[in-house]
Amino acid sequence: MAIRNDVTGQERDYLLDMLGGDIGCALEIGCGDGRLTAKYAALAAIVGIDLPESLPDAGRGAFPERAEVAAASAVALPFQPERFDAAIFSLSL
Amino acid sequence: MVHALSEAHRVLKPGAMLIDLRPAARNRRVEVELAEARLHIGEIDSANTFADHVVADDTLRSALAAGQFQIEHRASFELLTDMDSAADLRKYAAGLRRSKVPETMLPQIEQLTADVEGDYIIRLRRDMRIARYRKPPNR
Repeated sequence: MAIRNDVTGQERDYLLDMLGGDIGCALEIGCGDGRLTAKYAALAAIVGIDLPESLPDAGRGAFPERAEVAAASAVALPFQPERFDAAIFSLSL
Repeated sequence: MVHALSEAHRVLKPGAMLIDLRPAARNRRVEVELAEARLHIGEIDSANTFADHVVADDTLRSALAAGQFQIEHRASFELLTDMDSAADLRKYAAGLRRSKVPETMLPQIEQLTADVEGDYIIRLRRDMRIARYRKPPNR
């Protein structure tokens, strides 16, 4: 039994194309269980945020080592102004 | 959404990019691929989320008109999710918050695949949109 997302790699390819090369420090808004976070982490130091109920119950889910994860609301981001080189709404806008 | 976009604008450096990845306002299509045929089974009903997309589009249009962001590129693609069994689809359906798998779909798939153990794939097709925006260097 298995569920395999993005079996043709279209999502990965479009994301990498949109993001371009190395982008420094990025914020993922709506990271959920980290399904997409690993893709972003290939190009950036990534900070993922989501509401507490949307984050994995235990452990780090699919989050890569390079990612920071925080419980936070998209309408009150706990970050200083002008911190990030990119922001990504992952199915969350 | 207005506040989320404003917050994103606040924490982005001047000249930084904003990526919006989200589904199109269309239901996911469900197929069963057998060795000899691909069968369209039905759709997962996401109609009660479509109004959110309109609001998000309006919010982005306002942000563009206000000069908060500039559009650079948009594209659409199809996201394919494969599953090995009706049990996988049941698990997937249980994780959906606002979309609904029709009650008749799972029994229909179980009946279709009863005699072809392991020799089929359940495939979900979801239309996705992706866009890249840029915060102007002087904002």
